[in-house]
Amino acid sequence: MANSIIHRGTGMAMYFGTLLIVLWLGAAALGDAPFGVINAIYGFWLVQVVFFLATWALFHHMFGGIRYFIWDSVNVLDPVGREWITRLQFIASILLTLAAWAIFVWFK
Amino acid sequence: MIDKATIANPKTKYGHGGTREFITQRISGALNVLFTIFFVWFVVSLAGADRAQMIETVRNPLVAVGLVALIVNVCIHMRIGMHEVIEDYLDEQKQNRLANAANNAFAVLVALATILAVAKIVFWG
Repeated sequence: MANSIIHRGTGMAMYFGTLLIVLWLGAAALGDAPFGVINAIYGFWLVQVVFFLATWALFHHMFGGIRYFIWDSVNVLDPVGREWITRLQFIASILLTLAAWAIFVWFK
Repeated sequence: MIDKATIANPKTKYGHGGTREFITQRISGALNVLFTIFFVWFVVSLAGADRAQMIETVRNPLVAVGLVALIVNVCIHMRIGMHEVIEDYLDEQKQNRLANAANNAFAVLVALATILAVAKIVFWG
């Protein structure tokens, strides 16, 4: 049940998070000076923390969507399975977030 | 109370293409799984990049078309998602209408702004 709210929460966070894409691409379109400002803001460590959480929100919402596809097709609805698939969703979203950031920080 | 008549009545807040939105939300959601892969690649490869590098990548037709398709699909998906939240929590009719109007405007503006930015980069650098 909590995870249903988390699905909504991550969705709504990303709803407003689209503004980060608009600002990034918009600044790139406008010129070097605005792009420099946005790059400096986005590189600030507290903002990077927000991006880290946003990455998790993105992956968790994605796996949540896949879970709803599985449930919608009348699979894994039994009391044990439905709890496990939720745990699996958290494990997958956390691992993928860490993997994406590991690639970003160390292998880019 | 939500009963069959309420849902069938287009004048209530429930009577606005519920089935269509259900289907659209799942199709756009499935597409978003693919777009997520593209988006993560895009951000990871360009985060912190200088403008010249960014322009070069976005000017690639596949990337430009991909970005436009992504933002349109995302805006469709997020508009329906927010519509559902508004439907659940905002009961007062005026408030409900105002929130839905704001939601629609936000989704359209985000899509338009992104398309404009991509077009500017592609055609004028």
